[in-house]
Amino acid sequence: MPAAFVERVLEIVGQEGCLTREGELFAYECDGLTLAPRRPLAVLLPTTTEQVSAIVRACREFDVHFVPRGAGTGLSGGAHATENSVLIECSRMNQVIEVDVANRIAIVQPGVVNAELSTAIAHFGLFYAPDPSSQLACTIGGNVAENSGGPHTLKYGTTTNHVLALEMVLPDGRIQRFGNRVGESVGVDWVGAIVGSEGTLGIVTEVSVRLTPIPEGVETLLAIFDDVVAACRAVGRVIRSGCLPAALEIIDRRTIEAVEASIYAAGLPLSAGAVLIVELDGNPVCMEGEIATIRESCDAEGCQAIQIARDETERTRFWRARKGAFGAMGRLAPDLYVHDAVVPRVHLPEILAKVCEICDRYELKLANVFHAGDGNLHPNICFDKRDADELDRVVKAGAEILEACVAVGGVITGEHGVGVEKRDYMHLVFDTADLEPMYRLREIFNPDGVCNPGKIIPTTRFCVEANPKARGYDEVPIG
Amino acid sequence: MSQAWDGALSKSTTDRIEIPGAVVERVFEPKSTGELSEIITAAAADRQGLLTCCGRTRLHLANPAREIEAAISLAGLSGIQEFEPEEGVVYVAAGTPIAEIREEVAVEGWELPLDPPGRTSTVGGTVASAATGPRAHVFGGVSDAILGLDVVGADGVASKCGGRVVKNVTGYDLAKLYCGTFGTLAVITGAWLRLRPQPRIRQVLRAWPGSAPKVFERCRALSRLASVRAMVWEEVPGEGAPEVCIELGGSEEGVAHDRDRISESLDVDRISMDRIDSLRDARVVTPAGAAEDEVVLRARVLGSESEALVNAMLECGLAITVDAGLGVIHARGEVAEPGVLRSIRERAIAGGGFAIFEVLPEPWRSEFDVFGPQNGTESLMVSLKERFDPAGILNPGRFVAGS
Repeated sequence: MPAAFVERVLEIVGQEGCLTREGELFAYECDGLTLAPRRPLAVLLPTTTEQVSAIVRACREFDVHFVPRGAGTGLSGGAHATENSVLIECSRMNQVIEVDVANRIAIVQPGVVNAELSTAIAHFGLFYAPDPSSQLACTIGGNVAENSGGPHTLKYGTTTNHVLALEMVLPDGRIQRFGNRVGESVGVDWVGAIVGSEGTLGIVTEVSVRLTPIPEGVETLLAIFDDVVAACRAVGRVIRSGCLPAALEIIDRRTIEAVEASIYAAGLPLSAGAVLIVELDGNPVCMEGEIATIRESCDAEGCQAIQIARDETERTRFWRARKGAFGAMGRLAPDLYVHDAVVPRVHLPEILAKVCEICDRYELKLANVFHAGDGNLHPNICFDKRDADELDRVVKAGAEILEACVAVGGVITGEHGVGVEKRDYMHLVFDTADLEPMYRLREIFNPDGVCNPGKIIPTTRFCVEANPKARGYDEVPIG
Repeated sequence: MSQAWDGALSKSTTDRIEIPGAVVERVFEPKSTGELSEIITAAAADRQGLLTCCGRTRLHLANPAREIEAAISLAGLSGIQEFEPEEGVVYVAAGTPIAEIREEVAVEGWELPLDPPGRTSTVGGTVASAATGPRAHVFGGVSDAILGLDVVGADGVASKCGGRVVKNVTGYDLAKLYCGTFGTLAVITGAWLRLRPQPRIRQVLRAWPGSAPKVFERCRALSRLASVRAMVWEEVPGEGAPEVCIELGGSEEGVAHDRDRISESLDVDRISMDRIDSLRDARVVTPAGAAEDEVVLRARVLGSESEALVNAMLECGLAITVDAGLGVIHARGEVAEPGVLRSIRERAIAGGGFAIFEVLPEPWRSEFDVFGPQNGTESLMVSLKERFDPAGILNPGRFVAGS
């Protein structure tokens, strides 16, 4: 890293906003994807849009690549450093700039933590609906980059449904606004294209989000099943019944065991093969009828029992089990590979059986906790990456899982993004003709690929399937 | 003219389509994606401008076209090709009428969350123009219903984006680019759409809320009740009190509860179920259907700003219908001079939104961009157009920034 570059960025963000020592950089060598770590040249921590712009201009001047980062909770390596790159971490841009209660809008800096936004506006009777499992740590900027979902996506949609407008520093350093406060574009829907682009089109520095009224009534049910396939079938029945719950989440036996042995223990029955969490919200007068519909759907699939949360404490306990599941799995093995794929919901039972078969064949420890209502699987493979043979089996099993999902009409990621983890698998879903418009979009914003290079799509178009060197990411040996 | 284009033209038929800035007299009606690709490839090689159309509902909504030689009608690519009632998704070809899909999916208890104005609207036209109606209140925007799209690019190459599942972040969300760009980046040939469960019951209520202070705001507050699917406020200057129509939908208990809440504030009647559809479809005003000096516009502002803009429009003599919960205002009538329109657009932008001029008196056309200013993104749009349609053949000149 050129000394003159360090001097320049120190002028921009000061000593406290520039990390360059080995010990400091260690924590930034990966995000939630612990495979294929790489240490950045430096980590820069701006507090203003102007600082981000100045950093980007400095990077261009000194030919240094840059990778935007939120809280680093992403699971696909979207915030991994690449060769010759610095991380621009937005966690210090953490101010709620404005709350417009009358129009249910908040304008925030990208480093605002997801759950903290909802906490800050709760006294207005409002909340921010997208709720990734990492919401206590992840930031709105990271959510925008990944188009994050969460358990309540089923009813409320993903981040893209809640972002009205953006301010972004383009990869040439210009500051540009997109969208408007009503959330409807009158030209190109740039906001729609930028949300989910994994920081490859620029660095988002301000986000206007839609806020949602806290529902008057909420009921959370826990349906207990003998096996995960029966729970999946019950989800199919609920979808077909015309009832639209806020969330439909399944936790399998292995996950239950991990949760119940952890600080997230919620009293889930250890004898269950799977539990289905159903959350209903809306007008309290509708709840009784909807609960009856859910009971009918679950009973038809041989549900052992249904518990209904008696109060907010119990409801919180159910959700703590669900959202703490990934943390609880840390007890099972040193490393956890959280997979993410989506299938048409009708295929959930067969795919779950297939995923179990694949992991059994590779002798891997598997636990499933997933957004069943969206058909969004999260097979979690517990392993030890120091064991080279086991790591190899994890990667191979992961590839087979993705292939199985795509074979029934599914896709390779529902909410974690492509990042570096799944670039190699994009061809399972898209052929060269499908990828070409993606290259064109990226070139408009990021023609020389200096902004978060090598993510989502291979760096270059040529021979990506035949020639790994041309992929531009051969130094990241995933897949 | 090249031989390839000359050969392609021999397969077109004669028609007459009037659009702003041009009259198109040759129309292709491809029966397959392959045929469509051949036509586009030939046009690109010879730099021949193409107009794309389906049900022709909103063809007039555009800036004046540049050099259009022929139209491509997607009417030949029509039909519901896959419908999965267990999953609540449907794949339809672009030329499929919205009404046909609505009927088909309703049989299985599903509802298509698209509500474009006009009885002849098709999927392709609705997606390309991002056309919404009063039920956007509950449906959201057009792109919210799209799971995946098939398109043919300006180079004649077919491609897809998105998928058929309800949650997907695999690659860039290109459907967001194709939706609402009026066919200037690619020709949409088919779409995977998400369906919603049909409400168990629906009711339409009507009220005459009078003109007491704050009455509009009170109505707008009622639009936030959970069962409200649409709320349309209609008012014509000099023609008496405004009328409000409210569509409710959901469970019996929910609808009854919200109807009671509304009745506490407004004196309501139950009326015909198709009233909201009629109000929606009346918004389609073509230049041929408008008076010579008439202006037709669609504005959207923040809810808190909508009453002030509504009043300003009424003072200008414009008749309005407002989707009260959305802040969407449709207005038509004669205005004294173009400065009035400029002022309305400025107020709409200051109110957080925009104003689109759907029909303008001919002498004023050159003074306005139909879609309005683009907040500094014009150069990105130009760059997008250059990369997606380098020969400039798809609907040239009709969209923003001359693209």
